[in-house]
Amino acid sequence: MNKKIIFGALSILFSMSMHSQEIVLKGKELFGNLEARQIGPALMSGRIIDLENHPTNSRILYVGTAGGGVWKSSNGGASFAPIFDKHAQSIGVVAVDPSDPDNTIWVGTGEIWTRNSVSIGDGLYKSTDGGANWKKMGFEKSERISSIEINPKNSNEIYVAVLGALWGDSEERGIYKTIDGGKTWNKILYTNEKTGASDLIMDPTNPNILYASMWEFRRTAWGFNSGGANSALYKSTDAGKTWNKIHNGFPKGDLGRFAIAVAPSNPKIVYAVVESKEDKGLYRSDDAGASWKLLNSDFELVVRPFYFSRVVVDPKNPDVLIKGGFLGSISRDGGKTFKALTPLTGPLKLHPDIHDVVFDINNSDRLYVGTDGGVYRSWDSAGTFDMVDNLPLSQFYHISVDNDEPYNIYGGLQDNGSWWGPSSSPGGIEARDWNPVGVGDGFRVLRHPTKRIIYSEMQGAQNVWRYDMDKNYTKNIQPLPIKGEADLRFNWNAPMAISNHQPDRFYMGSQFLHVSEDMGDNWKKISPDLTTNDPAKQDKESGGISTDKSGAETHTTIFTIAESPLDEKIIWVGTDDGNVQITQDGGKTWTNTVENIQGLPKNTWVYHIEASSHKKGTAYAVFDGHASGDMNTYVYKTSDFGKTWTSIVTDDIVGFARNIQEDYVNEDLLFLGTEFGLFITINGGKNWSRFTNNMPAAAVHFIDLQKRTNDLVMGTHGRGAIIIDDISPLRQINQEVLAKEVHFFETKPAIIKEESGFGGGSTELQFVGDNPNTAAKIIYYLKKRHTFGKMTLSIQDQEGNEVVSLTPGKAKGINIVDWNFRKKAPKVAAGKTFTFGGFTSPRVSEGTYKVVLKKGKKEFTSSIIVKNDPESLITSQERIAQQNAAKQLFDGMEDLAYLVYKIDQNIKKAENLSKNDPASSKISTSAIDELTKLKETLVVTTGDNYVNEAEPQLREKLSEIYAEVTNQFEKPSFSQLENIDVLQKQIDEAKAAFEKINAKQVAKLNKYLEKTNGKPTEILDKAKFLSK
Amino acid sequence: MSALKSILIALILAITTSFHAQTADEILNNYFENTGGKDNWEKLKGIEMIGVMKMQGMEIPFEQVSTKDGKQVVTIELQGNKMVWSAFDGETSWQRNQMTMEAEKSDNEATENLKKQSKDFPDPFLNYKDKGYSVELIGKETVDGTEAFKIKLTKDPITINGESQPNISHYYFDTENFVPIIIESEINDGPMKGQIAKSSISDYQEVNGVYFPFTITNQFQTLSFKDIKLDPEVDTAIFAFPEKTAEEKKE
Repeated sequence: MNKKIIFGALSILFSMSMHSQEIVLKGKELFGNLEARQIGPALMSGRIIDLENHPTNSRILYVGTAGGGVWKSSNGGASFAPIFDKHAQSIGVVAVDPSDPDNTIWVGTGEIWTRNSVSIGDGLYKSTDGGANWKKMGFEKSERISSIEINPKNSNEIYVAVLGALWGDSEERGIYKTIDGGKTWNKILYTNEKTGASDLIMDPTNPNILYASMWEFRRTAWGFNSGGANSALYKSTDAGKTWNKIHNGFPKGDLGRFAIAVAPSNPKIVYAVVESKEDKGLYRSDDAGASWKLLNSDFELVVRPFYFSRVVVDPKNPDVLIKGGFLGSISRDGGKTFKALTPLTGPLKLHPDIHDVVFDINNSDRLYVGTDGGVYRSWDSAGTFDMVDNLPLSQFYHISVDNDEPYNIYGGLQDNGSWWGPSSSPGGIEARDWNPVGVGDGFRVLRHPTKRIIYSEMQGAQNVWRYDMDKNYTKNIQPLPIKGEADLRFNWNAPMAISNHQPDRFYMGSQFLHVSEDMGDNWKKISPDLTTNDPAKQDKESGGISTDKSGAETHTTIFTIAESPLDEKIIWVGTDDGNVQITQDGGKTWTNTVENIQGLPKNTWVYHIEASSHKKGTAYAVFDGHASGDMNTYVYKTSDFGKTWTSIVTDDIVGFARNIQEDYVNEDLLFLGTEFGLFITINGGKNWSRFTNNMPAAAVHFIDLQKRTNDLVMGTHGRGAIIIDDISPLRQINQEVLAKEVHFFETKPAIIKEESGFGGGSTELQFVGDNPNTAAKIIYYLKKRHTFGKMTLSIQDQEGNEVVSLTPGKAKGINIVDWNFRKKAPKVAAGKTFTFGGFTSPRVSEGTYKVVLKKGKKEFTSSIIVKNDPESLITSQERIAQQNAAKQLFDGMEDLAYLVYKIDQNIKKAENLSKNDPASSKISTSAIDELTKLKETLVVTTGDNYVNEAEPQLREKLSEIYAEVTNQFEKPSFSQLENIDVLQKQIDEAKAAFEKINAKQVAKLNKYLEKTNGKPTEILDKAKFLSK
Repeated sequence: MSALKSILIALILAITTSFHAQTADEILNNYFENTGGKDNWEKLKGIEMIGVMKMQGMEIPFEQVSTKDGKQVVTIELQGNKMVWSAFDGETSWQRNQMTMEAEKSDNEATENLKKQSKDFPDPFLNYKDKGYSVELIGKETVDGTEAFKIKLTKDPITINGESQPNISHYYFDTENFVPIIIESEINDGPMKGQIAKSSISDYQEVNGVYFPFTITNQFQTLSFKDIKLDPEVDTAIFAFPEKTAEEKKE
């Protein structure tokens, strides 16, 4: 019995120690300083949900976005910075505590303008330091929070309106109240599991008066319903204890979503926009909701209530109000008549789809508008608008890359068309670097593998464009229905794919798989209907009370197409209604393999299939059930063409997944995009790590891996394109590496790019994406962060002479240190001003260099190969000529520096002597005079670095040509060589002149010093001076 | 059997001690204890740091002196010219104009903000309560791959463009050694306003019984110290704004 226990304990210990053999690093421990690069774009920005201003400081403004978190401006909306990157990026509401507006901010997550593509939130957050730190305050399962109202006299009394789940029933809905600052919450108004609180407003003069709108709504993957018997507007006058329906004057029957507003300057005036089959429109009450009168039913007031239900009243004038809408509209007569914020024709003043407006607290002429395309500012009461250019909130549905140098990025955006732009551009990736390649909603954009052709599309494949980049010519190539056959059903985000084997072959999926062998000119169907073709999921009358037929809900369609990179006959197709189909004979026969997947709910949306580039039978399938209320993560792998599937999901992953990318080299390295960011496994899915280095918790909709650069390119739905440059170190990590104190990763030879040019003309308020670093990279792994004692990193030539010393990275995990191929700069002669050429450091020549990392007494070495640009046009002789000339000038710079140093030392000595020993005056003065006269020809001794610049002397002339020859990638020209000769002669003459003075005046001085028991001038030898 | 027992006990101990909650003050006490003791820190009257500043491929030798009474001076050497780059004598803050190389006074906001920072010497956390600062332990977080305690430091508000703003920074103390390894602070002005600047601090070494980081790196530059001198002798004239003589004014 006893023995058994001991044995048991031993075996536990044994297994623990076995377990501890395996080193598992998670997240930042593994990734160290490997960082993501956010490149935007921001020129079209993205969807805004909620704007909030500070009650007393007009410089501060908060923006809650659909998929890009919360941004704060502290300069009146000129520029914004993100303050919510670690949390759910989909925002419903931002609220500032009126009693502590500098510090206390509340954020309700989960966007509330419930279009088909919305993301989800994960609760309520509070900051007590202006957004620097955030704490979760509950409501994890709320999915969407629509309002937060704080008693202006009591920071602990807060009301929260929970709209709740969009795709399923939920009891976490309704109005909640806390009286202890959010520690405990009471549900004080609840209708049922289908009806959420869509808005809550507190009377600005009386915190006991509250208006709450309840909305019955539901979305499925194939339809949307707004409205029902339970939608209603309520009022409480006792701080939420009792609620009364206030419908006196409203239409009878089923109602939909309400938009409500209380005029801040006269709280008796309340506006409500009512969604109804009959008598819909704007109602006004002049008795605080006791009775209502219908004023106006204009299109802008009633259009798409699920997307536009915000009314905002001017804080100073109760008769000026703005309603969000397709174009938005403003009334200046208390709601009787309205004018659109932007005309529909001609140049738009604003991006359409207006979601929220705030007026400046002091000046109502100034206002801010949140749209599907970012934030706009107006200074003249909506007369004109100016877009905020630094909110990179673009919402990619899809992303892809080409193989150009530098490679380009292609993708389509929610309500913002399709675009392509470079991964690198002189001066940074600016707005002007992005090119449109489609209108409407953009989705998949693919570049032809060999031609300057781009394929792009708009919603539901209404257009599929083939764009010729050189001719600027577009052709619509969508597959069309064939006579006598079924109508085609295309997903809102219709799939397209290019063959890995035939460059002109192009696939598209409706319910059928279509293939074209001539870039979309002609099409052939190569499958039967691959979906369930379930008529119940083919709702043509979506919307509920307000019909909403946009095609966004078309279901039972193909969503993903993957041709095997290893065999063109093998094609995978995934459908939005849960089929995983494979053909191994180019489409002749198809097998649905979804029945072979264990643990997956029936009909779960197949979001992505990744056909392996390592083995023909291997594929990954990512399923997304969120549109049926299932927020779990589903990722499966098959190695036998779908006969068996294994889940590779672990508890490490947060959020439902949409996309997976397999590495081309290491098949165990996988990248998974979920609703809350990027997850990486280095062991085929045994463990996953969240990547958070400069990577917000944004929804990653699509991932591509650039083969030449090994850059991982992510299309996020709310933070634009995000790149992790060169993921190749992750391929090399294994248990052996992780056990080492220091491990240098193998890197590709570093190329000295022969480029020099101009770029960067953006203003300080325009977003500019960072370029990749073109420097050589020294990449190593540290088992432990270096904190105590010296650590250095030195680049040395083969003989061990130091070329340059770099700043080593010291993080635990992966460290990346850049080296710009430069050596140390020359020692420059001291003058009154700077010589800018003197800051130039020479480049190294191509070859292998030693990398020496010293940590305390330990030394670790590696090497790095530097190569010349393969695109270079110059010969090796020309290169040698350039290097020799640069070297001669470098030495000339240092010769001059030493000469001036000697002069200065002697002048100093002589000056001291003449001060302390007036008898020496004749000797010291003549030395000073002669030396100064010489020095004035060598360096400038007067003037400044700007408009009072002195005439250039030898140093200035020398450093100018030194910098020019050193930086150029050509052999020195004849005029450069002539100039070098002239300057070299001057250096030699100056040296001779100095020797003459040295032999005469300086010698006299030293002799005098010796005689008077003084010390002769101290002059370091040249080597010592240069190393000083 | 007994060996097994002691292993099990050791395991349990290891687990329970790691669960022991830390307060911000305990972490700060540990920090001062591990870096030479509070007494030694309190005794410091001045610190001189000599090193190089690496930026954009340039290496600029520099020396920085700061004193207990809030004076500071930065001397740099550029192309053989050694000069005071910026200084503060407790009243007047000044720096050199990069065009004329002449001394010019800082604007009044910058000077006032600097005055408030005078009490930072030698370390803002030393007797922070007396300085009127507050600290808060935010929690544990992994930075630079290393588990760290995140401590929020709130100093006196500063004034930027005519507006008072909170002065918050976050220090990450390594959970193993209790020394700061990362400092995050908000950029207060210019186009990067509102963004977070991150400094990585490392290469702690002992100087007369007190430990100092010898390397401080941020996205713009690296400060690498060769030598740190405690209580250096300094001519106080060096801190003062060099008023022009009548003769110089004529020039």
